[in-house]
This record gives sequence, structure tokens and C-alpha cells, in this order.
Amino acid sequence: MTERGDVIYEVRNLCKRYGAVVALDDASMKLHAGEVVGLVGDNGAGKSTLVKCLSGAHQPTSGQILLDGVEREWSSPHDAIQAGVETLYQDSGLAPHLSVSANVFLGREELKPGILGKMGFLAQKSMDTRAHMDLDRVGIAVPASGRSVAQLSGGQRQAVAIGRAVAWASRVIILDEPTNHLGARQAGEVLHVIQRAKEQGLGVIFISHTLPHVLQVTDRVVVLRLGRVVKDAPTSDFDVDSLLGTITGLITD
Amino acid sequence: MATTDVKQPSSPVTQVVAPTSRLKSALANQQLLLLIVWLVMVLGFSLKSPIFFSVDVAGNIFADWGPLVLIALGELIVVISAGIDLSVGANVGFSGVIAAFAMKALTTAGVASTPTLLIGVLVCVVVGSLIGLINALLINYAKLVPFIATLVTLGAASGMSLVLTKGAPIMGGPAGGIMLSVPWIGPFSKPVLVVIVVVAVMWAFLHKARFGRYTYAIGSNAFAARAAGIDVKRHIVKIYMLSGFLAGLAGFFFYLRLGGGAPTSGYGMELDAIAAVVIGGAALAGGVGRVSGTVLGALILTTVTSGLIIVGVDPSWKRVVVAVLIAVAATLQALRKSEGGAS
Repeated sequence: MTERGDVIYEVRNLCKRYGAVVALDDASMKLHAGEVVGLVGDNGAGKSTLVKCLSGAHQPTSGQILLDGVEREWSSPHDAIQAGVETLYQDSGLAPHLSVSANVFLGREELKPGILGKMGFLAQKSMDTRAHMDLDRVGIAVPASGRSVAQLSGGQRQAVAIGRAVAWASRVIILDEPTNHLGARQAGEVLHVIQRAKEQGLGVIFISHTLPHVLQVTDRVVVLRLGRVVKDAPTSDFDVDSLLGTITGLITD
Repeated sequence: MATTDVKQPSSPVTQVVAPTSRLKSALANQQLLLLIVWLVMVLGFSLKSPIFFSVDVAGNIFADWGPLVLIALGELIVVISAGIDLSVGANVGFSGVIAAFAMKALTTAGVASTPTLLIGVLVCVVVGSLIGLINALLINYAKLVPFIATLVTLGAASGMSLVLTKGAPIMGGPAGGIMLSVPWIGPFSKPVLVVIVVVAVMWAFLHKARFGRYTYAIGSNAFAARAAGIDVKRHIVKIYMLSGFLAGLAGFFFYLRLGGGAPTSGYGMELDAIAAVVIGGAALAGGVGRVSGTVLGALILTTVTSGLIIVGVDPSWKRVVVAVLIAVAATLQALRKSEGGAS
């Protein structure tokens, strides 16, 4: 589709075992700057495990994770976030009792200058303004940053979650089922945001069961089956049927 | 809240649901409701008894309010984080007893009153914080739910208090202590004024600072907090240690009033603290609660107790009144939730 940048995020020979269960078996994949890679597979194929390793939530049993060509080890999601790798988890990324701006800034609050800031006091007004600007920049308009997230509709919540991830990500953004439970129009908006992130030069990993969305928004598709990468090819090589066949194992190379 | 102006979206997302019904806005202001309830109580008791509306009675009410609001504020932060701290009452007794032993020893050794009292308050808050630390460790590493973890420390602390004292108060501390509990400015004794400062500090840290932001975030969605890079375990330690610290401070408050450390001080107060927090509008499910609500909740509880005694009603009725207040407050909370808004 568009010209690809350098390899931004890469995993080599990643394995993850939970006791006797092998969730991820020698998985390797590359993500380029300005590229959207779809990660698909049946339930239990290892998508969630791979996402958790990529986002720092879990640590792989063996294998390497490289960001900008440098090997990294994430001991917690905090490490990955600090390095510019943002992850949007299915459904549960926001704190419903907090305001939109508090959610956007969660974990990296702006503090007041001087002694008050040293004591942990928040620069609330500045965060409200910036949250609004950041969401606007990535193409999401949610009115009133002061409003609590519980008062938003499901589509708006998802928009805020994605907006937050895109606003903060400096290298990679991982979206786990971002179009779940959304209507067609809202899903379209989410795909639009993904396009914007891509144009900004971020690497995007898009995990979804909704194959038409995958075909619509991605440049390349990585298919996982039983913990292994069984296919890694340009999206143009697939249609819904051949992708489904590869996922279920009916089609093999 | 400053409301940023609404621009026309470049990529329009669905309209905001705006359920600002009149019912909701009335319910939303729990603090105002509480203030009205309290004023009606004061008015009712004053009409019933001519002596109720006096500095003396106010002094008594605030003397009861001081330690209660201390432990209730600790309970509040724990409840906002979606936890519960059952150990605060036992913590009051235990920290007071340990401090009483220390102050007795210092006084016997001839140390003056003021330094002895200062060491006493230090012992109280250190012992209190340590009990909080144990709670947090049990929750974080033994993976106990807060209810069980703090039930364990409740039992251990109250049992140890009785064992160490053989059931009798530990007296023999500095003589100057008990004088601190008399009203100093109007109905307020010096310790009560300290409590008011603590309330202000807690308000600032819970509602204006990162400490509070993390506390609400963890109670609202611990997964999201963790995913956002917040060190949840570390924050749990802070929360329970602060609750323990405040309970220890309440223990010193009781020491001053009694002039000694009694193992039974604070007995059952965890339930009063939870009552104050719930009446104040907090939700045990986490993520909701305000310092102002808890302060008023505690004030209503102590006013009911004093008022019933003064107007000659059997004070056992207090429990019934508190039960009704809890039921009303919890119902309002549930209604507010079904209206679709959070505080």
C-alpha cells in the first residue's frame, strides 16, 4: 500500500509456556514504521499471549523482543509504555469513574510546577486542555474532558481508549479487538483513527476477529495457529475465504 | 470542573448521552443532603432539649468526632480503592496500649511530660502504620482479599492488646496528657484542631493530588491502572499504611481522653468508620467517595449519639438510626449508579 519505513518492532523465536501448556511456539514477526499488521488466529491460537509479551504484561519463556533493532526486556507494562509501545486491551482499558482527561493522563499525570508538584499535586486544567487537544489531533472529538467516562456511550469510550493510546504512542500501538461491540459507523471511525496513526509513522498491530476489518485496514497479515506463525503475507494476498481457511487450518502452504 | 468548549468534531463520534435529570442533580450533591440532614438533627435536638445547643455539648460531639473522622478517612481511601479495612478499631486499641507502655516507662524514668507525649504520638502512628503495612503485605503477597487480610490483623491486634494488658488500662503516663483534651478554642480541643488540619490535608491529597488519582483509578478499574503503568501493589501499601497511620493517631486521641491506654479503646469502631464512609456517599465497590461526605457522615453519627442521650432517649436507638441512615445512603448510591453517572 504505502511505502514502509524501517523495522520498528520485532520478535524472534518467541516461546511462552504456562506450566506444561505451550501458548506460543517459536513465533517471529516484524513490524515496520507506518505499517499496520493484522494479527489473526482462532481462539487459543496465541494472539493474546503474543500481545501480552509485546506489551510487557507477560514475560516470554524464551526468544527476543527488539524495538528499533535493540533487544529489550519488559518487566512490566510500564517499561513498554516508557519506550513508546502503547497497548489498548479489549474493553477494559479505562477507569469509568475518572474523567476523560484523567483517563488520558492515567499513569503519567502532569504535576503543578514547584513545591506543590513535588508533593504530587496535579495540574488539572492543563491536563484537561491537553487531553482535548490530543484527542482532537487523532481525530476523536469527545466533548468535555471533565466528564466521567461512565457517562459516555460505548463507542465514545472506545474512542477515548484508542485516542489515548495513539496520543501517547511514540513507536508502536497494539490494538486488541478495538472494533468489538461497536456499530458499523463507530467501527469505521476506529479504522479511520488507525489510518491516522499509520500516517504519523507509528507501527500498528491490529488484532481482530472481524476479518473484513482486517482486510480493510492492514498492510500485512500474520496468522497464528496453535501458538505458531503459520502465515505472514501482504494483505493483498488474501480474501475473506482464504484468510478464514488459513486461520482454521483448512488451507496450508 | 472546567468544561472545555465543544468543537465540531472532524470525525464525529456519537452524541453525548446527557441524563441530567432533576433527580440526578439532586442526588449528585450528597454533601448538600448530608448537611441538611445534620442541620435538621441539630435543630430537632435543640428544640427537644434546651441544653443541646451549647458549647459544652458541641465540645463533646467534636471530641467524639475527632477519632472517628480520623479512622473514617483512612477507611474512605481504602474503600475508594475497592478494599475494606476491618482492622482500624483494633489498631486504635493496640497502638494506644503500646504507646501507653512506652510513655509509662519514660515517665517512670523521669522524662518530662511534653517529650514523652511526642514520643507517644510517634509510637502510635508507627505502630498503626505497621499494622497497615501487614495488611498490604497480606493482600499483595499472600493474595488475601482485603476483608480477610484485615480480619486477621483485627483479631491479632485486639487479642494482643488484651494479652499485653491483661484487660486493664495502662496508666502512669505523663500527667499533662489529659489536660489537652479540654476545649481550647470554643468547643475545639487542641487534638480536635489537629484533626481538622488532617482533614484538610487528606482532602488535598485525595482530590487534588496524584495519590488520590491513583486511589480512584485502582478502585475504578485495577486492570486499567496496571495497564497504564501504575505500580498498584506499591499504591496498595501506601493506602493501607495511611489508614493504619490515621488509626494510630486516633489511638493517641483516645489515650489523651482517658489518660491511659485501654485495650478496649476503638472496639467495634471499624463499623462506625464504614458507616460514616457509606453515609458520606462512598461505594464499597470502589471508585466513589469524597472527604467532605465522610466528614459529614462522621459528624452525623456523633451528633446522633450525643443528641439521643441529651434528649433522654435510650442511646441504643443510635444503632437503629444509623442503620436507617446507611440504608438511605446506600439506596441513593444505587439510584445514582442506575442513572448512569459516577460522581
